[in-house]
Amino acid sequence: MNTPPARIDAYLAEIAAGLHGPRRRRARILAELRDGLDQAVADQITAGLPAERAASVAIARFGTPAAVADAFAAELTIGYARQTLGWFVATGPLVGIWWLLLLHPRPWGLTALVAAIPAIPLVAAGLATTATTFAATGRLMRWLPEAGAGRAVVAVLAVAGLAITGDLTILAVYLGSDAPTPPLGLVAVAASLIRIGFSSITIRRAAALRRRTATPDRSTVGRNARR
Amino acid sequence: MRPELLKGHLDALLLAVLEPGPQHGYAVIEALRSASGGTLDLPTGTVYPALHRLERAGLIASEWQTVDGRRRRAYHLTPAGHAALGEHRALWDQFSAAVAAVLSARPRPAPA
Repeated sequence: MNTPPARIDAYLAEIAAGLHGPRRRRARILAELRDGLDQAVADQITAGLPAERAASVAIARFGTPAAVADAFAAELTIGYARQTLGWFVATGPLVGIWWLLLLHPRPWGLTALVAAIPAIPLVAAGLATTATTFAATGRLMRWLPEAGAGRAVVAVLAVAGLAITGDLTILAVYLGSDAPTPPLGLVAVAASLIRIGFSSITIRRAAALRRRTATPDRSTVGRNARR
Repeated sequence: MRPELLKGHLDALLLAVLEPGPQHGYAVIEALRSASGGTLDLPTGTVYPALHRLERAGLIASEWQTVDGRRRRAYHLTPAGHAALGEHRALWDQFSAAVAAVLSARPRPAPA
């Protein structure tokens, strides 16, 4: 097939510059667009156009790079939100287990547990926020009110904020006590500090994504979506 | 056709195009264009996200294939997608019949 790859490469590079979200997801989007563009160019050549003109027509029919990138913004933001929330849930036990081993009450009881580890209600709130967001952005959105990109990214901000608050609370309780710090305590403190660092980075990224998704949509099916 | 008229119907249209069998994204969008006689002529690149959203909702599924050395993503309807398409059709029949009944009713001339 005689396609002018430089034109297609430049067009896809412009789209790539406007995509923000998980790297693997962006790579798959670009691979899919490239396949579609190659097919579109081939169709135009079959219809009798010279290769250079075929590429121009195919690119024009795909839409401006800004319009295409904007059209993907919501999906990429939701993908980022689901991935990040999943990360918080998956790594939560790696932090919580140390505090549980260190501070668990004797005898066990829910009230005594919350008194010993006051971050537990925050963990419950974070899990509830994550479960609700997963449901409203996944398969259950057929029956539940669908959550858009804005709501999904707010959920990430909320869960990251809860994680920071929970870690700071438990650190203040533990370091404020006069109890000696065993090696297990050092591990728990280090785990919470690492999560505070990750959560702070997450808040910065999520806030940037939120600003982007809050800008008016220029694309979809609008009149200015084509060159 | 005004683009905003498509709002709320694009999901059903994409499901209907995929009903006969699996297709890759570009073929889906071209089928939409040709089946509508060119009336539904959306910028191709902006329709892919609608396919991704339908997949997230579990109404379609996709798999990557290698065709002539190129990676290609093919979509197909899931059982939930078939059911959703049936619901969309029933709603559309009801809606379009109601709108047609109102629009086709012409006022009778007032008696002299």
